[in-house]
Amino acid sequence: MPIQINHGVKGKEFPPFAVTVERGKIKEFARAIGDLSPFYLDDAVGRASQWGDIIAPPTFPVSFHDEAAGTGALLKELGTDISRLLHGEQEFEHFKPIRPGDTYLCRTRIADIYEKSGKSGPMAFVVREMVVTDGDNDIVARVRHITVVRL
Amino acid sequence: MKYATVYFEDVEIGAEMPLLAKGPIRQIQLTRYAGASGDFNPIHQDPTFAKAAGMGDVFAHGMLSMGFVAQSVTDWLGVGSVQKLGVRFAGLVRLGDVITCRGKILAKRSAKEAGRGQGVVDLELWAENQKGEKVVTGRATVALLSREES
Repeated sequence: MPIQINHGVKGKEFPPFAVTVERGKIKEFARAIGDLSPFYLDDAVGRASQWGDIIAPPTFPVSFHDEAAGTGALLKELGTDISRLLHGEQEFEHFKPIRPGDTYLCRTRIADIYEKSGKSGPMAFVVREMVVTDGDNDIVARVRHITVVRL
Repeated sequence: MKYATVYFEDVEIGAEMPLLAKGPIRQIQLTRYAGASGDFNPIHQDPTFAKAAGMGDVFAHGMLSMGFVAQSVTDWLGVGSVQKLGVRFAGLVRLGDVITCRGKILAKRSAKEAGRGQGVVDLELWAENQKGEKVVTGRATVALLSREES
């Protein structure tokens, strides 16, 4: 029997959270991918660049989460467990570079939930959107994350 | 790695992105990626958990493959140039897989057409495993400098 998830959380906004980007975290993230660009890893190259410092790779905002707005919180809201999750789709829109030392505010909401039947059975698609803003209240990035729940 | 600037005028519609091959994927990379990203889902670390979840064995974080795809774009067109990157995870990446990132230019819009300071190109992107199976498909929009402005 397929499990049921709680569709009532569609539209839910999670508590905003702040992230201060650590220099070492950018480097750790780039190295984990195996992307050794000096614009991510070399402080001297960063200083001499148009940005005045190293910047983060395009997918770095995926590391912005906190307990009240993360996958654990989502699972609790949906009423399912982590073993059923797959990552369906992901999108980043970038408006400003992400730099070490800067503090960003992240606002996440569940934009949509819908169900479909695929070749591996019934699945629910949970669309989360996160808006990342900086100290000037400018939008730095928009992140769209579609989680698939195997029902 | 490439750091030279690719100018808007130099990129033609249909031009293919240089291939970027990543891997073979090892467990240690998945563990490093878990630490770096904060995604500690045991399905990427623990074969017993992955089997019990019906997935056969551990598999790579989709976001690791997306990181490879992002690198393929920035290696070619420059770090800091990606305005939009969206992907669908089309297949699982397993331990031992070699992932090749590919792409091509779909469209070009000059700064004037794009209504912004720089010209942009749209790319079709995909990544495939050593069997030629697509594991990621996607699109990107990338801003490029113009020779006229520089």
